[in-house]
Amino acid sequence: MVLVDIRETKSVKAADIFLQVRPGKDFELITILRAMIKDQPISETQIAETGLTMEQLQDFVSRMKAARFGVMFFGMGLSMTRGKHMNSAALLTLAAEMNAFTKFVAMPMRGHGNVTGADVIMRSQTGYPFGISFNRGYPRYNPGEFSTVDVLVRGDTDCAFIIGADPGATMPQPAIDHLARIPTIVLDPHVTHTSRLSRVHITTAPAGISAPGTAYRMDEIPLPLHPALESPYPSDEEVVRRINETLMKKPDWMGERPQILQTQI
Amino acid sequence: MLRITGGTVYDPANGINGEVRDLNVEDGKFVSSVTSGRTIDATGLVIFPGGVDVHTHVAGGSINFARAMTPEDHRRTQAFIRSQTRRSGLGGMAPTTFATGYLYAGMGFTTVNEAAVPVLSARHTHEEMADIPILDKSCLVLMANNEIMLDLLEAGEYERAKHIVAWHIWAAKAYGVKAVNPGGVAAWKWGKDANHLSDPIEGYKNTTPGSIVTSLAKIVDELGIPHPIHLHCNNLGVPGNISTTLETMKHLEGHRAHLAHLQYHAYGGDDWHTMRSEAAQLAEYFNAHPNMTTDAGAVLFGDTVTITADGPWQHLLYKLTGRKWGNLDVENETGCGIVPYSYRPSNLVNAVQWATGLELLLLIDDPWRVFLSTDHPNGACFWRYPEIVQLLMCADFRKECMAGLAPEVMNRITLPEINREYTLYEIATIMSAGPARALGLGQKGNLGVGKDADIVIYHQDKDIARMFGHPRYVIKRGEIVIEEGDIRETPDGNEYLVKPSFDPGTDEFLRPLFEDRYCMSFENYPVEIERIERPEFQQCITSE
Repeated sequence: MVLVDIRETKSVKAADIFLQVRPGKDFELITILRAMIKDQPISETQIAETGLTMEQLQDFVSRMKAARFGVMFFGMGLSMTRGKHMNSAALLTLAAEMNAFTKFVAMPMRGHGNVTGADVIMRSQTGYPFGISFNRGYPRYNPGEFSTVDVLVRGDTDCAFIIGADPGATMPQPAIDHLARIPTIVLDPHVTHTSRLSRVHITTAPAGISAPGTAYRMDEIPLPLHPALESPYPSDEEVVRRINETLMKKPDWMGERPQILQTQI
Repeated sequence: MLRITGGTVYDPANGINGEVRDLNVEDGKFVSSVTSGRTIDATGLVIFPGGVDVHTHVAGGSINFARAMTPEDHRRTQAFIRSQTRRSGLGGMAPTTFATGYLYAGMGFTTVNEAAVPVLSARHTHEEMADIPILDKSCLVLMANNEIMLDLLEAGEYERAKHIVAWHIWAAKAYGVKAVNPGGVAAWKWGKDANHLSDPIEGYKNTTPGSIVTSLAKIVDELGIPHPIHLHCNNLGVPGNISTTLETMKHLEGHRAHLAHLQYHAYGGDDWHTMRSEAAQLAEYFNAHPNMTTDAGAVLFGDTVTITADGPWQHLLYKLTGRKWGNLDVENETGCGIVPYSYRPSNLVNAVQWATGLELLLLIDDPWRVFLSTDHPNGACFWRYPEIVQLLMCADFRKECMAGLAPEVMNRITLPEINREYTLYEIATIMSAGPARALGLGQKGNLGVGKDADIVIYHQDKDIARMFGHPRYVIKRGEIVIEEGDIRETPDGNEYLVKPSFDPGTDEFLRPLFEDRYCMSFENYPVEIERIERPEFQQCITSE
């Protein structure tokens, strides 16, 4: 196991080799590796910029090529720092190119909870994993415009419905301010930071403990949740279903519109 | 209750070829007469049984991975706008679940068979299938690279392997067995492939792709699964693979078999520069062997995304195109690869592929044995089927299209010499009655009394693609779902299941193997029957 990080984390203990990359130099490092596996010339100075040495990288490359099945795990340290999705794209390309030598795959390390499950279902129903707007009656995708933080910071939304998340604890202050300004509804087994600034908090049964369901592993394998305890609270699913049923009784508020747009606007 | 009067009926299952007949529907089924209810005057209109797709990829981990990989296509495609009762969705290369139902029903299809499901992610496939409105669905479980089964075949434990296959069909809540690149996907875990039917596969001493094919075909027959083994042969897409395909067919002698997307397995030549169509040779062998059915896997020019469990092939395609590549390895069972692709008439290989698919459809004599498919989304998206119908029905239109191909293609294909034109009766056979029979779904693709009232009513139109792309009415189990291009109702469809019998000790045999090799608990592996929203059981065929 080779660990690449900007500092010595707890995972170092489990690693055979630790490569400490200079902060913000992930893209450069990956690009250098892409060149090195193909025996393209790389100068010492280019490598020095990443905080590593030619010997370290040559050893790394030969280890990768010697593996029979290699996996690259990556997380938010790569995807949320300078370069963002460009870093992820570079790493995915490196993994693809490694297949010219041996079997290699890359896999994102997802956050806690059922992030992958939300991703998977949003994709099957809308085509997109997150950052989706339905305000024209069909799904549109634009991270940075339709992602939750951006919608809240711009003040674009006049109501918020939060299920199993606590943006009140993690999001930037302007987003939290807007959540407090508008009617916010929270569904959560616990009273969270977001609950405290919401108009309505509905306590729900925790999935996997007292509510059934499905959680997706980060390799998108679905696992059934078998509740061990009874709960006096309804499940998230039941609450959402009942809200939906009530909404369906409202007269059609969307007015005349076509069934299909042949070309999206 | 519903009456449809005066229409010109094409019902190959009952030998009705363009006769004016009345149809009566009650409680979702055809009856001999009804006393009240709506009457549709279908005078001058053409009536078909609802379409049946024997091989498509519309639900599950692989198509969902393809959706993730192609947001640029979602943006440029058609959008379905939600209403209070109807969900929104996007069409395109990998349509979303709700849109899949609207698009299939929109061209008169009412039943689809999702062709590739690993047990490990079957729970999710069923979630997606439940989301697809209007259509009845079935799915096939991937077995030919399941390492537990391969180990049993290696050890010569055929009987035990049979129980294992039956157990997996039920565990996945599947309807039959799919075999993809037998041995090759398992070898791909080591970065290898399985190219020769008689060579042992990577990691095994005796087991060969050929022995897997024969054993699985025999197992599926002996279990009495209504749909025979559904086989994606080795060496898909490779020039010269005709020899592999013919050898595979020899391995299937004495067994029922459905060969999927045969177009991709009908090439001659030694490399991409010399590749040519061998559809004529393949069709000749196929015509003489009535134990097999096939679907065309036809190609149409344009953009699509290719998805298959055939991991090694997708790596090759990625190297050829330099486009995006997704790869999934599903533990001990199978894998999957995804590469977006554009078929171009100016590309020699693509032109040969385009011609090969049509040649197979035209050179296989019996429309009951070759079915309309594009191996959606691999050869083209399913919603382009009406274009293929037009190519089959109009020799002049085919000639027009061929005029746009590079001249050097002409001596690599036989299409210019074929003058056959499909009749409406034959189209109804390859699009509905034939695939329904091959799937063992007696209640589908049949307008007879007692069968499911799935009906398509078309305008007569000289523009064949328009006629089949825009039905006047589509009726699902007696309910009008499409009327003049508008979606009227979106009822839920059923899911077809079989429960083959297996030794009750199979669980205890599998448990230690499973706990040793897999990374989920054994109890969580099989899909619970409660998770299938509307199951409909089909009987296994009992041997005399």
